[in-house]
Amino acid sequence: MIRVQRLGKRFGEVRAVDGLSFDVPPGAVTGFLGPNGAGKTTTLRMILGLVAPTEGAATINGSRYADLPNPSRTVGAVLDRSGFHPARTCRDHLRLYARMGGYPDARVAEVLDLVGATSYAHRRARGLSTGMRQRLNLATALLGDPQVLLLDEPSNGLDPEGIAWLRRFVRALAGEGRTLLVSSHVLSEAEQMVDRVVIIREGRLVTSGAIAELTEHGSLEQTYLTLTGGAA
Amino acid sequence: MITLLSAEARRLLSTRLWVWALAAAVFTGVLVSVMALAGPENFDPPMPALSTAQGTRLVLGMAGLLAFVPALLGTTAVTAEYRHQTITFTYLFVPRRGTVLAAKLGIYGVAGLAYGLVVAVLAGAGLAVAAAVHGITLGLPTGELVGLLLRIAVMMAVYTLLGVAFGALLRNQVTALAVLGGYFYMGETLLLLIPGVNTMYPFLPGGASSALTGFTFLADAVAQTGISAPHLLSAPLGALVLLGYAVVAAVLAFATSLRRDVA
Repeated sequence: MIRVQRLGKRFGEVRAVDGLSFDVPPGAVTGFLGPNGAGKTTTLRMILGLVAPTEGAATINGSRYADLPNPSRTVGAVLDRSGFHPARTCRDHLRLYARMGGYPDARVAEVLDLVGATSYAHRRARGLSTGMRQRLNLATALLGDPQVLLLDEPSNGLDPEGIAWLRRFVRALAGEGRTLLVSSHVLSEAEQMVDRVVIIREGRLVTSGAIAELTEHGSLEQTYLTLTGGAA
Repeated sequence: MITLLSAEARRLLSTRLWVWALAAAVFTGVLVSVMALAGPENFDPPMPALSTAQGTRLVLGMAGLLAFVPALLGTTAVTAEYRHQTITFTYLFVPRRGTVLAAKLGIYGVAGLAYGLVVAVLAGAGLAVAAAVHGITLGLPTGELVGLLLRIAVMMAVYTLLGVAFGALLRNQVTALAVLGGYFYMGETLLLLIPGVNTMYPFLPGGASSALTGFTFLADAVAQTGISAPHLLSAPLGALVLLGYAVVAAVLAFATSLRRDVA
């Protein structure tokens, strides 16, 4: 269970996130939706302890991220701007972080297999396509076999085939009883992937709930545009 | 901590940076050897010959002049985490940022010492070969020579730590390399031109390095200007002063840069 309580972040005069509270229940895929610049990435980075909140707190299973005993065993994260050293091979990248998390090297082959990256594991990161990088990103997040996964705009830059693969992959992870929080600004894609949604705008909560309830009177896009004040 | 040290070792060994570092160490050692073979008495202007203590120290001092290279390599290694944004993964796996920096300092301290030992072994071998070729006895007794070579190795290790700590403090690779490289290239020499500052020379990185290696070219040059003759610290104190700079930079990094948001 991820709990976000009155979370806020100011960058100078700008309030990127402002008094944001929501819960992400276990065992479901929660879509974290909002327009570009709504504060999704900042919120995810605050949950993960990468960005310090100016107010409020975020906890995972009752603890702040930094206080989790071995965080990568509990939470895996795929972030938009996490990177790879261009000269390091995919396998070496995973071996490095497997060691950092205290996982056996055998786990590297498992996660490569899981995301379908074994065939290019020997390649250096500089030569990878966006789709390949995203799979490597996911493989890194899965090293600790975490129950909770946070994915920030995971479909960005993926081709249709990649998006379809990602959707199946996310559903399969959810099918194993994992908790997923997936941010997106592409609603049609989110609609097919998520069980619940949290919608934010200008750093504040607009609504949250099960997708079936929110789409009772129309598509997710219609509901979203009505709630966020966009033109239908 | 053991797993973290081992992970940082994997990080270092899984790109080609260590190959470049090894090449730089070999180059430094070979340069000293070539200078020894050429003989300082044949330099222009002529310098004291290898058969004098001064001549042997002079040739070895060239290795000391290149101590900024491992410092820059250390800076490159640690700032690469920010440049390529692998720092995000690193802090996701180990949110205790000070521990991450401590592990990096540990591994790069060892790597820097290995670098220094490669330089020392090659330089020592070069001196021995030069002495044999010229049919002379080196101007320093073997014990003192070995001690001097080890002090050069220690200096390389401490300079690597300096580079790592400054890299962690400044984060931006280009800025960090420019600041550190600029200081070692001419910053300190320029500082010495400011009246009164030359009295601080023994405590500046260059002065402390001279104390550690016993290579006093710059101190002697300053003395020749007649302004004042700065007295260098003892070798262990010189090492401590250098280490002090690395510690101060690391503590500053911990108090400032490491607390910044990773966005």
